[in-house]
Amino acid sequence: MGKFSYTQENEKEFERILKKYPNSDAMMLPGLWLVQEQEGWVSPDAMVFMADRLGKSPIEVHSFASFYTMFNLKPIGTYHIELCKTLSCMIMGAPELKRYIKETLGISPGETSADGKFHFSEVECQGACGGAPMIALNHTYHENLTVEKLENIIKGCK
Amino acid sequence: MNTDDMIVKIVSKNFDIPNSHTLDVALKNGRYESIDKLFTMDPDDVTEEVCKSGLRGKGGGGAACGPKWKLMPPLDERPRYLIANGDESEPGTFKDRQIFQYDPHLLIEGIICSSYAIGAHDCFIYIRGEYKFFIDRLNAAIEEAYEAGIIGEKVMNKYDYRMNITVHRGGGAYICGEKSALIESIEGKRGHPRLKPHGKECEWFFGQPATVNNVETIASVPNIVLNGYESYTKYGTEKAPGTMLFAMSGPVKKPGVYELQYGCKMTDVIEQIGGGMKEGLKLKAVIPGGASCPILTAEEVDKAYLDYETMWSIGSTLGTGGMMIIPEGVSMVDVAKNLIEFYHHESCGQCTPCREGCGWIDTIIKRILDGKGTVSDLTTILDVCETMNGKTVCVFAPAVKDIIKSLVQKYRDEFISYIETTEKQGDAING
Amino acid sequence: MGEVVNITVNGAQFEAEKGSLLIDKLLDENIHIPHFCYHQALGKDGNCRMCMVEIEGQKRPQIACDTPIKEGMEVRTKGENIEKVRKDILELELINHPIDCPTCDQAGECKLQDYYMESGFYESRVNVDAKTHHAKRIDLGSNVMLDRERCVLCTRCTRFCSDITKTSELAVMGRSDHSYIGTFPGRPLDNPYAMNVVDLCPVGALTSKDFRFKQRVWFMNSFNAICNGCSKGCNITVDHRKEKYKNDEIFRFRPRRNDTINGFFMCDEGRLSYHKENENRFVTPLLEHNESNNSDIIANIFKYLSTSKEVLFLVGPSLSTEEMKNINNLASKLKVTISGYSPDTFDESFGDDYLKNNDRATNRTSFKKIGINEDKTIFKKALNAASVVIIIDNTYFENNLALLEGKRIISLFSHTCKVIEKSDVALPIASFYEKTGTYTNCDGIEQRVVSKMKKDNAALTITAVLENLKDMIGKGKL
Repeated sequence: MGKFSYTQENEKEFERILKKYPNSDAMMLPGLWLVQEQEGWVSPDAMVFMADRLGKSPIEVHSFASFYTMFNLKPIGTYHIELCKTLSCMIMGAPELKRYIKETLGISPGETSADGKFHFSEVECQGACGGAPMIALNHTYHENLTVEKLENIIKGCK
Repeated sequence: MNTDDMIVKIVSKNFDIPNSHTLDVALKNGRYESIDKLFTMDPDDVTEEVCKSGLRGKGGGGAACGPKWKLMPPLDERPRYLIANGDESEPGTFKDRQIFQYDPHLLIEGIICSSYAIGAHDCFIYIRGEYKFFIDRLNAAIEEAYEAGIIGEKVMNKYDYRMNITVHRGGGAYICGEKSALIESIEGKRGHPRLKPHGKECEWFFGQPATVNNVETIASVPNIVLNGYESYTKYGTEKAPGTMLFAMSGPVKKPGVYELQYGCKMTDVIEQIGGGMKEGLKLKAVIPGGASCPILTAEEVDKAYLDYETMWSIGSTLGTGGMMIIPEGVSMVDVAKNLIEFYHHESCGQCTPCREGCGWIDTIIKRILDGKGTVSDLTTILDVCETMNGKTVCVFAPAVKDIIKSLVQKYRDEFISYIETTEKQGDAING
Repeated sequence: MGEVVNITVNGAQFEAEKGSLLIDKLLDENIHIPHFCYHQALGKDGNCRMCMVEIEGQKRPQIACDTPIKEGMEVRTKGENIEKVRKDILELELINHPIDCPTCDQAGECKLQDYYMESGFYESRVNVDAKTHHAKRIDLGSNVMLDRERCVLCTRCTRFCSDITKTSELAVMGRSDHSYIGTFPGRPLDNPYAMNVVDLCPVGALTSKDFRFKQRVWFMNSFNAICNGCSKGCNITVDHRKEKYKNDEIFRFRPRRNDTINGFFMCDEGRLSYHKENENRFVTPLLEHNESNNSDIIANIFKYLSTSKEVLFLVGPSLSTEEMKNINNLASKLKVTISGYSPDTFDESFGDDYLKNNDRATNRTSFKKIGINEDKTIFKKALNAASVVIIIDNTYFENNLALLEGKRIISLFSHTCKVIEKSDVALPIASFYEKTGTYTNCDGIEQRVVSKMKKDNAALTITAVLENLKDMIGKGKL
């Protein structure tokens, strides 16, 4: 694993965003998002990079990243299926979708499919209760799901 | 009350217009009309107008907005900030996203008005990380606004008031919706809520004065500036004037977000606006304002009106106005497990009662569901709720106590039935 | 000192500074106030919630660490209500805490144990199997072992590393009750004061690898002393024990609070210097390189003093003030030269801007006060002229043995060294922690150490040797 650095584009974006804040500490969240969008996850090397950038120690970056559930601290599959499990989604059918995912993709929450294509997580309320049940597929919301609709979505993931 | 009386479109006025999120369409439909009026007023007068309107915070707390603005110290050479709370993570709540999606320019307009009132030239909008689509849409609107000169070095290309707006994407943490944890998060730290000051004072962002307001609260300001406080007080109740974006989720025919004036009867809203329960289903309970409220049984729902004071009087809270409707056939012990898991995952872990208490209650309810519970477990749950109440850094733990205590007390029989038999009472709706 | 106001605590009246923290007042007055996360060197964090007190007029209990003192405040730390609150919060601290007491080093000085015993609460409502689990034996570096299950997340250790040493090696990771403390891979705990986190940790989560499993704390005796690692003179507690059939041995040093010198902390090197104290002891007196006994040795020293004309006393800068005065008096009486020349105790790489000082000697400041000369030229002249050199706890010649050629050497040391091997007469003396004495630190602060060690076959103190000599000088002829 080599050292981490931003792409030229992300480097520019980092500098652009940095100007908007009175203190570079505020770049923790935006900076880590750029890392994750670039690599798909936040590696220890990326944490060292971020630490140097912001004048912190690497463990402080790790401490920050591990608090927020959306930062992947390990690489995950190409398609991240996040199924909401909180109350309205539970009542409206999320358990059935969970069963479907287990039966067809063979994965339980927290697992990646054997071919590395799908990673499945159960997440808390996504703010889509009116469209329950729902999943977020690579952060895009798919609401008002049925097993059939979910099947089509999964089939559409090449 | 009938539907036409209940529904009042102030914040949601433009929601149904195609492409209402684009600047073109927005300008044609009244956006930024309040700005000219705004700059004829003194900032303190704007605050007065908002005070008189009785505008209350829409993030779940319901604290009056105007008096909160007054907590900012007198203007001096220090920079001041407005921070818009768009972290919307309360289960059952999905209303702020409507503003991002359908009328982001309303939010920008509200930010200009609110920032002017408190003397802020920079606003940071903290949006929960999961709302990628909405963040992109809001960023696009902000781009448009900068390009058109609506914000930037000047407002509306003519008013000498620098206004900068930046969207800050969250990383997935419900607790960052708590205003001090939100600020900690933007400051590049873990979202641990701060110890509360001993007197009323403003918030502090990197050591400078700041005000945190919910996105919907800010979006309600342009109307008050343009049309005066009476345009707001003519709706709602005396103590809760105006409107709020209420939400309904669960097995009603028309779940969604509807802007209603305060004070509507809950059953009217569920029946007439929500279309009533889906075919063959009966209403069992409602959690009225997002998960952090004491649950209402069907009898209590009959007595409920959607305003803060009435809700308090029947032992619950209005919260975010996100009604979660629970049908007959759903086990309340499942509901309790579902919600305590939520709180268990989302506790920041900073202070002892909340960190350990949420986990313990989760373990006990799991044991009850597994048929290994005892009657003393129910007493333990209530004891832990008491220990968590009022002894923590923030209000997360009292929220846990609100919902869990109400579930255990009002549905004690269901809990007992698990303890006495290993069979689950009723069938869950979807297998 | 700000405005002084009156408050009552449990009915008793106190004066306190307005606006200062209530917990500071309670701690300063030795009023029992259970707490984990507050520490007077680190400030407040407000996360443990144990320091809750009742304040008259306030509906809810308040945490004392975040309560500023106001005029007329009525505080209750005792009473049914507040004790129940405390017991409930303690119960929550304990639900995920492993029952490690039988194997945990912290036992006997553990706040959790202490508070548990106080609240008299013996039945647990939690199934042991339901507790959260974490890694239990993590070497963090710098002799610090971490047991994550025992951690109560008070964050004293992380705050110490970020605020005091400013090295930030430790942080909290994760969220909720799966939070844990740790270091970054490849970046262990690595600063000169790291082991202070072991003292700071109120439970057995952070323990000293050096002390691990060596002694149960209740078997040890303690006495107050100062560290002899450098001229700062950080205050310490010496923990020692004389086990059956064994000699009295020191098992650890712990820093002791002194607001004018070291605050609450000490450096790791000083903390571990008790090893130096225990090891390499010089035990059997040597006469002409053969084993001898104390009285023969002293007799021989008297003989040399009586018969030699040119004698040089070379004293070390870590002797106590009393010892220095006594030797100086003897030298004056005998009209011989005394020097404190000891440049070898300086180590430029040791000092820092916090507690560590370049001079590794404890009492050099007293040389000037007493009038013992340290000048190099005077020393060299006296050394050239001397036929007998009496070296008392001075290590200058360790790397300069050649300079002792052709001289008669009498040495008094507590620990072995090369000079002893070259000496004609060598007498073991009591070490720094086996005697009573006064020491003046680099800032001119005088401190007294009273040893409570009870060693078998204890070596003579220098004072005892000198008393003997004075006796002999008094009776005999010079």
